[in-house]
Amino acid sequence: MEHDLPVLTRRAFLRTSLIVAALSWTVPVFIQQTCMVMHAQALDSAVQGGTGRDHPILVVIQLAGGNDGLNTIIPFEDDLYFKARPTIGIPKNQVIPLDKGIGLHPSLGSLKALYESGNLAIIQGVGYPNPNRSHFRSTEIWQTASDANQILTKGWLGRYFDNCCRGEDPTVGVVLGEQLPEAFNANVPTGVAIGRPGNLGFDRTSDPGEAHLFSELNGLEPDAMSGDSIGSLSGPNNSGLSALEYLQRTALDAQVSAERIRQMLRSSKNEVSYPRNQLGNSLGLIARLIAGSLPTRVYYASQGGYDTHAGQANTHQRLLSEFSAALFAFCNDLKRKGIFDRIVVMTFSEFGRRVIENANGGTDHGTAAPLFVCGGGVNPGLYGKQPALDKLDSGDLFYGIDFRSVYSTILLNWMKAPAGKILGREFPKLSFV
Amino acid sequence: MLSPLTLKRWDFDAAAHLLVRAGFGGRAEEIEKLHALGPAKAISSLVDSQPESYAPPACADPHGQDELRNQLRDAVTPEQKQSVRKLLNERFRYEMSDLTRWWVMRMVNTRAPFVEKMTLFWHGRFATSGQKVRHAYKMWHQNEILRQNGLANFANLTKAISRDPAMMIWLDTVQSKKERPNENFAREVMELFTLGEGCYSESDVKEAARAWTGYRIDKDNQSFRFAPAQFDSGLKTFLGKTGSWNGDQIVDMIVSQPQCARFIAAKIWKFFAYETTDPKLIDALASEFRNVQYEIRPFMKQVFSTQEFYGTEALNSQIKSPVQFLVQAFRTMPIALPESSVLEFAFRQMGQVPFYPPSVKGWDGGNSWINTATLTFRYKLARQLVEGIDPQELGLPKPLAMDMGGIRPATTPALLVDQIVTASDRQQPQNVVEKLFVRIFQCSSKFELATRFREFLSNRSLPLEDSTIRGLAALMMTTPYYQLT
Repeated sequence: MEHDLPVLTRRAFLRTSLIVAALSWTVPVFIQQTCMVMHAQALDSAVQGGTGRDHPILVVIQLAGGNDGLNTIIPFEDDLYFKARPTIGIPKNQVIPLDKGIGLHPSLGSLKALYESGNLAIIQGVGYPNPNRSHFRSTEIWQTASDANQILTKGWLGRYFDNCCRGEDPTVGVVLGEQLPEAFNANVPTGVAIGRPGNLGFDRTSDPGEAHLFSELNGLEPDAMSGDSIGSLSGPNNSGLSALEYLQRTALDAQVSAERIRQMLRSSKNEVSYPRNQLGNSLGLIARLIAGSLPTRVYYASQGGYDTHAGQANTHQRLLSEFSAALFAFCNDLKRKGIFDRIVVMTFSEFGRRVIENANGGTDHGTAAPLFVCGGGVNPGLYGKQPALDKLDSGDLFYGIDFRSVYSTILLNWMKAPAGKILGREFPKLSFV
Repeated sequence: MLSPLTLKRWDFDAAAHLLVRAGFGGRAEEIEKLHALGPAKAISSLVDSQPESYAPPACADPHGQDELRNQLRDAVTPEQKQSVRKLLNERFRYEMSDLTRWWVMRMVNTRAPFVEKMTLFWHGRFATSGQKVRHAYKMWHQNEILRQNGLANFANLTKAISRDPAMMIWLDTVQSKKERPNENFAREVMELFTLGEGCYSESDVKEAARAWTGYRIDKDNQSFRFAPAQFDSGLKTFLGKTGSWNGDQIVDMIVSQPQCARFIAAKIWKFFAYETTDPKLIDALASEFRNVQYEIRPFMKQVFSTQEFYGTEALNSQIKSPVQFLVQAFRTMPIALPESSVLEFAFRQMGQVPFYPPSVKGWDGGNSWINTATLTFRYKLARQLVEGIDPQELGLPKPLAMDMGGIRPATTPALLVDQIVTASDRQQPQNVVEKLFVRIFQCSSKFELATRFREFLSNRSLPLEDSTIRGLAALMMTTPYYQLT
């Protein structure tokens, strides 16, 4: 329900919460934590406060299904490539050359433009030891930054939020989609999922009495209720914050962030037109939210359909065209808005695909693959090596760069976050940002 | 350490708490009836119930895929193979959402709710996902294994699960060979199912993996088959003991560890009562569990007969799982069950799709059920449960091709107000609040919270109309309190 609540600005909340500090349980999580941070004068240097206008932003794009790396970044002078892919190999004369025998799929022309304008880094041969070929499990490994034989319940971005964004708005992480990805799993649940912008926030009710009581019961009116009135209904739990308090705070977070996002969307528009597909819509919305100064550090969008077991040529071409057109529009939009330097886009897919094409004009699940990093602050170029095609791991590529090296580089060099602490150990840093 | 439940504590709200935790809650009459039995009989009436006979779902046929499998085998061209695979895949997805609805219906309709609650508990413990198993029949079969064994002996349950085809695929026992034993099952059995991390060595994992070789699935009837030629009958040293152990013997040795009782007792306490790290409480529970030789029924009776189970730490302290959220709503209120695609969608949005746990660890539960997105969705769903579900409005994507011939699922009718209140209640707002409150919050309306709702109705014109009463029900359900149990 959206009520006649005054717009709950962060500043207004801060004022209120300082006054009503004694009633701390009616204050939303992020405000209380912000106050704590303020009182402690940000002694913990890992905690990052952002105003929405200055901090670095990461945009993660998941290419779900296992993107065929070999037909994305193509070793077009290697005969073994054409031998392995007699029907779906991209002919040499169609490949868009980048550098010494490495080129782009013909659908990725606009990435070539980004590459030339110095905004694109390509990390080759990214994977991990003992690769798992299940979509489900390998996605989980990428999302949680775990070892192949290790099960972690918190995501790598969730651990970043836990370590660096305590006390921030819930909108510190924004997902374009109905659900939060596993990468967002955190000790302190953080992040907002935007399915359809129209679905943001609680449904409206036309009955004013109902709306008012809804606000009260959900703690959306800071001075509406005292904890005593319901104390008898709910017991405390071990975390110190009772389940009830946690719920009320989340309700308030949802209300505040929905209102904030709606405001942003009203106040900003796209400077370029985006392709009309899911990824285009998502990136278009993200650009508006960034321009509206939402205090978000991580945006997450996805494009599905990369599981090309059969009839790959057409499908893959369509997917890559959609991807590159959406990304290109996004970059141009942000350039025109003058905020391109504040973002880094990183793509990933759960695995690449088998080197040898299958009998159905497709490819099966494989291992290592390239990923793209793009943005105003990126050091452009090719990183890592194209994995050798003459030395395979039961038909699959050996990885050269652990994906956690990529995460680590982004966390440390771009997000200025303690990468080793977040990822559980140190990984070799790269220099793409 | 565990204090026995006193008669003094056994009031209406205690009975309601028992019914909602050992089952999925009930109407005021059901709670009243349970209360009148007195604690011992009330607990027995729930815990001693047996799985009732219940019509199986459509996928409960081991030969259900035979025809398509044969077609796949006989397909000549890649295009033919591809189109059969597509059909198999569609069939799988269709059967899985049908299976989900079948289980939800069973949880809603059963006269043995504790059996289903315990099955749900074990599903989260021996968490297996259709995502990898890819066969609805096997997922249903595992569900039956959990139901049939989940109230008897824990060691036997673990042995039955080790031979369960879905589990064998999920944790790769089917691929384990004498020469190359797969460690996946051996590791998770100890780490996640019985002991917890750090209570065994890497060498124990390797040796146990050798004991679980020779486990295969009979392709003819999709059942467990032991292949002696693939079994490693050599000597193994496990937890310090050497012998030519097989899988069942490994389970016996695991269960003989006191740590196993601690581990399981703490998981049971967390699921049914509240999460605790109090070592005294866990030790006391574990010792009860060992005293009854890991028999689950008598242990659960103990759990429900402790004062602690009815203490302030337990009452209304849990955030409902999405399954509890929906099943409890359907069990306690006259609301029609929507179609399977709607149910599945709702579960996905709330973060718990039965038969699809996110990993072998199961669902984290607790606060992790709730974030801004899941809470917003719960409120939207709660309102629609009361006013009728409009799948499109709920955000349902396009349906599967096989599902209803591509037509969007139908809307469901609104809450049947007349089944909750009488005509004379409509003249007495406090009666309406009372009746809705007990159903919705599963406790008596003596709590302060009920006053808010009485005030809300105080200036409405009488008799109260359906829309007002539904508005009140929706209001009650779009609160933090309703997320608790």
